[in-house]
Amino acid sequence: MNNLKIFQCENSIDGIFSAIYQAWSSGYGHANIRIEEQSENDNYTNITLFSDYIIVKTDFEQAMKVSQSIKSKISLEAYEMVCRVALSNYQSKGDLIYRFLILGFHVGSKVVGYLSNEVVNRVFKLNRYVNGEAHHIMGFLRFSEQENGILTSVIHPKNNILTLITPHFADRLPMERFVIIDGNRNICSLHLPGRPWVLAEVPNIKSTYHETIMDDNNDEYEELWRVFFDNIAIKERINPGLQRNNLPIRFRRDMTEFIPRENIQIL
Amino acid sequence: MIIQEGMTIQRKLEILSDAAKYDVACTSSGVDRKGTGTGMGNSLACGICHSFSEDGRCISLLKILFTNECIFDCKYCINRSSNDVVRASFTPTEVCELTMEFYRRNYIEGLFLSSGIMVSPNYTMELIFDALRMLRDEYQFSGYIHCKTIPGTDPALVEAIGWYADRMSVNLELPTASSLKQLAPHKNRKNILKPMRQIQLRRESNREYLGIYGGMKYPNEINNDTVYNKAFSNFNNRLNRLPKLCDTKKDNDINNLITSTSDITPYVKPPVTRSRYVPAGQSTQLIIGATDESDYHIMSVSEALYDGFDLKRVFYSAFMNVNNDSSLPSTQNGPPLLREHRLYQADWLLRFYGFRINELLSERTPNFNVLLDPKCDWALRNLDKFPVEVNKADYYTLLRVPGIGVNSARRIITARKSATLDFKDLKTLGIVLKRAVYFITCKGSMMYPIKLNEDFITRELLSVKDKLPFGIERDITYKQLSLFDDVSFHPDEEVKGMLLGGVQ
Ligand code: SF4
Repeated sequence: MNNLKIFQCENSIDGIFSAIYQAWSSGYGHANIRIEEQSENDNYTNITLFSDYIIVKTDFEQAMKVSQSIKSKISLEAYEMVCRVALSNYQSKGDLIYRFLILGFHVGSKVVGYLSNEVVNRVFKLNRYVNGEAHHIMGFLRFSEQENGILTSVIHPKNNILTLITPHFADRLPMERFVIIDGNRNICSLHLPGRPWVLAEVPNIKSTYHETIMDDNNDEYEELWRVFFDNIAIKERINPGLQRNNLPIRFRRDMTEFIPRENIQIL
Repeated sequence: MIIQEGMTIQRKLEILSDAAKYDVACTSSGVDRKGTGTGMGNSLACGICHSFSEDGRCISLLKILFTNECIFDCKYCINRSSNDVVRASFTPTEVCELTMEFYRRNYIEGLFLSSGIMVSPNYTMELIFDALRMLRDEYQFSGYIHCKTIPGTDPALVEAIGWYADRMSVNLELPTASSLKQLAPHKNRKNILKPMRQIQLRRESNREYLGIYGGMKYPNEINNDTVYNKAFSNFNNRLNRLPKLCDTKKDNDINNLITSTSDITPYVKPPVTRSRYVPAGQSTQLIIGATDESDYHIMSVSEALYDGFDLKRVFYSAFMNVNNDSSLPSTQNGPPLLREHRLYQADWLLRFYGFRINELLSERTPNFNVLLDPKCDWALRNLDKFPVEVNKADYYTLLRVPGIGVNSARRIITARKSATLDFKDLKTLGIVLKRAVYFITCKGSMMYPIKLNEDFITRELLSVKDKLPFGIERDITYKQLSLFDDVSFHPDEEVKGMLLGGVQ
């Protein structure tokens, strides 16, 4: 009996690509292979009986080879789609990418149009989901100016979108020093004027925006923004349902205008 | 008039954002512009919403009046000269500082500057021009700027401002010249349409000059998508073949301006630094429900504006009697939101779905159905055009199916290249079939064996909840009644029969 071979890898683009490289070259046959990435809190999913587990060490060279083949044998679009899936919080995204690539290497660049195929459709939907969240956060993210002039922001996205949004801010605010912290993943992106932005790990930060950012912070523009926000609503049209639909509650913990004033100590 | 000296910036912002809130337009879409690498700001064609206010509307721009002082006395406006309200004015520097500081904290995509009229239209617009020029040249701001033009401003000034703004708008306010005269005695329609025309012509010559003038003006969102280019050319051909349905000629003001090109645009040499003239185009706003024009009348004006003036958006603003003016309709029970919603739906059909207003309404049925959205309503009156085959119908035919929108139609077209679709596939594609099932076939057969019987389908469509924005649904009964009262609503005989027949 042929046991299922489960390739366990890191939860990152390079980890997943390494696993795909090793799975592909293992010769076990696609039907007997599963790719399983670590979940965000470092756990693997349930252990499956009658399976062999193969631990994949992330290998940048192998990962690079996989990226290259996707770009040259399928398309740049497919490559970008796969990357977004890898940044999503979808469980077993590694295996999904593997299935997508099997089809992709078979049919070429047309694969992205196979919307009635379940694998491609899932990839397509995840892309919309990840892009959607990135787009939301581009708007909902708030910077606070620290006393040293650095703009600081904390976000709590469901997907790992930091690398998708930072280029936008680097282009928009080229002369600013800014930090965007992903409070769910303890990573941050840093930007200094005239230099490429970088990704870094941060030590565990306190969980809420105002505790980390608003401490000892007295920025008059935050108050002006709240004044504007309160005044711009038309009272005769107050509609919390519509507001909630457009701006889900989960984003509000990180947004200046929704943080109750009493939580902020103005010195 | 109460003018307070030495007001804090906070107090000014309070007054001048409060006074600006009735302007609907808050979009930042239409321009793609990379950052300069030195100043601050860029712009995304898709636009970005930064927050949503308590009324659920998107906040994307710092929407303020430059001043709420005003020498005019428009009846519907809180800032009219006869009102006794606290007045305030920003300085150009204050506007720049607020915009820059809000922008760097990522509160906004840019600035939407509108204004009352202080001293004279020119006096006010010169101050606004100063603010824009400083913001672009001194503060190096490359974010989005939407600037309102005051009717009666010197064309040379309008010309100059256009090189600094991404979008410009002049509010038409009311659909007809007579309503305008009645409610805004100091304004006249020609003064509103003239700058619109001027900006349009300058935009055209600017595009030609830059050599980026493309023939395709229809759904600009999908312009650069080659897959749809074919669909567009089909659509444009079809459009040309259509008889000129909306008789623009009826509207003399609009027609006169469209046919005359002289006399409007003064020649001003474009400043070298700004290469694109009002790149995001123009918009305007109409107040709904203050006067007794029908939906048909309102939408005909919109259509004429889209066709003749190349407007990007017409906004509709449900009237609110903020001054409790007894000569205007009372809005004690809330503004006519359902009507506003139906107009937006229809506007969408005009801009993206290839509909003409004469297909949706007529002199005989001048107002939209309160119970069904305009597309369902149209489909029911045109059952002979259905069902359509999902695997064959072209893009614009698919768009006419109730329940199939732009995204669904595009997905169908992409997916059917690699497979012949059945109903299960449509579900996989995420297409909502609740309404569509009555109007489509897959591989030649319908999902359920049903006859295209108007009564039956009407009943079924009504049982699918109309997706209204939150808060409108709640008081549909009231709105229904108020619409019947207010705007002489004559439902089609069939619909009326159904209403009386008690459809749940
Ligand atoms: S000109 Fe504008 S600000 Fe002045 S009263 Fe009329 S609508 Fe209001």
